[in-house]
Amino acid sequence: MVLRFYMQISSKELVLLITITTFIFLIAPIFLIGYIFLYNKKKAKHTEEKETLKKTFELELLKSQVEVQEHIMQTIASDLHDNIGQLLSLTSMTLSSIKADHLREEKINTASELTQRAIRELRQLSKMMNGQELIKKGLGPAIAYELEWLKKGLTYEIQFKENMPGAIPEHADKELILFRLFQEILSNIIRHAKATRIDIELDQKNGQLFLMVKDNGKGFMWEEKLRKSDGLGLFNLQKRTSMMNGDFNINSIPGTGTEIKVSIPYC
Amino acid sequence: MQVFFTVNTITELLCLMICLFCLFRDKDIYWRSFMIYLFLVCAVEFTGIYLRLLHKSNYELYTYFLVIECTMISCFFYRLYRKYHFKPSRLFSWLGLFMSIYGLELYTNHFSNFAYKTAAIMSVVFVIASLYYYMLILRDEHFRKLETYPPFWIVNGVLFFYFGSTACNVFFDYLMQDKITSLGLSVRYVTFNILNVILYSCWSYAFICRYRQRN
Repeated sequence: MVLRFYMQISSKELVLLITITTFIFLIAPIFLIGYIFLYNKKKAKHTEEKETLKKTFELELLKSQVEVQEHIMQTIASDLHDNIGQLLSLTSMTLSSIKADHLREEKINTASELTQRAIRELRQLSKMMNGQELIKKGLGPAIAYELEWLKKGLTYEIQFKENMPGAIPEHADKELILFRLFQEILSNIIRHAKATRIDIELDQKNGQLFLMVKDNGKGFMWEEKLRKSDGLGLFNLQKRTSMMNGDFNINSIPGTGTEIKVSIPYC
Repeated sequence: MQVFFTVNTITELLCLMICLFCLFRDKDIYWRSFMIYLFLVCAVEFTGIYLRLLHKSNYELYTYFLVIECTMISCFFYRLYRKYHFKPSRLFSWLGLFMSIYGLELYTNHFSNFAYKTAAIMSVVFVIASLYYYMLILRDEHFRKLETYPPFWIVNGVLFFYFGSTACNVFFDYLMQDKITSLGLSVRYVTFNILNVILYSCWSYAFICRYRQRN
């Protein structure tokens, strides 16, 4: 009887023990899953930091590339202006100092005129290459100067609207990068678009510098270019814009034309 | 009729309906097989209740279902491990081992009781499999948003169910004799009700996540 009572207590205790064990066995996975979530969040943070570092590194690299490119162009511009320009000036002076007969004088005059033209072209080209020099008067005049150069050579119908309040640039470095972007967009239009009309808009409002370049060329499928990894130039433009925390939008319709909008913070 | 609708059967039916809705058009055969598995779960559960009403033993039904359960969960774990270069031979080895233990237990108890020892071993293996899966996803360089990652929630359900049921399986004999007088239900029955609700809730959530990711 005593033994049976003892066994009954023991059995009840065992059931209680099993219940507690099961309860603990249910709590344990909750904590375990909690730890996994925490670890996963830390992993996400780590991945995010790695991505940010990678992006910063890429942007720094791009910035250095732009700076180096700018420096090279400045050097070439100076060389063109100072060395070849001087040589051409000297040639022009030499040509004008030659005293010749009537028949030869005409030829010498033509050679002198051609040399003068070459000097003018060279100075213009040198000025255009030297971005810092060009941007001194502001982005608007720099774009106008570039368009003047374009109007001379090819038959484009060009319209340029500018709404920049100050004559002197507040952030010359940003304007210079945007100017180089504009030059590349323009170069793309000349090389690929087969356009007859180009519209350019430059605007500064709400702390943003906005540039729009639109052409009536053959256009392209942006998604297709992305898929084929074609159009590296456009990717570079996009990268350079993101370097300045800006937005780069392409809207292109085959057969109708392309519209590129670039906006960068300007404050 | 009301006897057929218990906490267990309602949970299982709800999970089956969610499964049918979410996975009907799924392209993955492992995910789609959940529909058949859950259908079998419901069928076994209703048949079990029916046999009980006829005062017939239903342990044989649950014992045979153990094979389907083990195959289904093992194959799903294999599907999860596959991308971590897990060899199919390991799956077949485990299934072979399971069948040997299962056969041996049935033979030793002369087919007269539920194969609870095999169920206990299976539970331990599935708990280890779940923990191993956690280790694999933590070691994986690729980041996943676990809050909505369907396989993770399937494994969570498996871990809760099999970890929670280990104690009940180990002390199966004792618990079969026990009754909670106020409700007239055994500790084992109540525990498995709770575990079933957790398991099928996790699975239903996983199916919904899978459906949302697919669309």
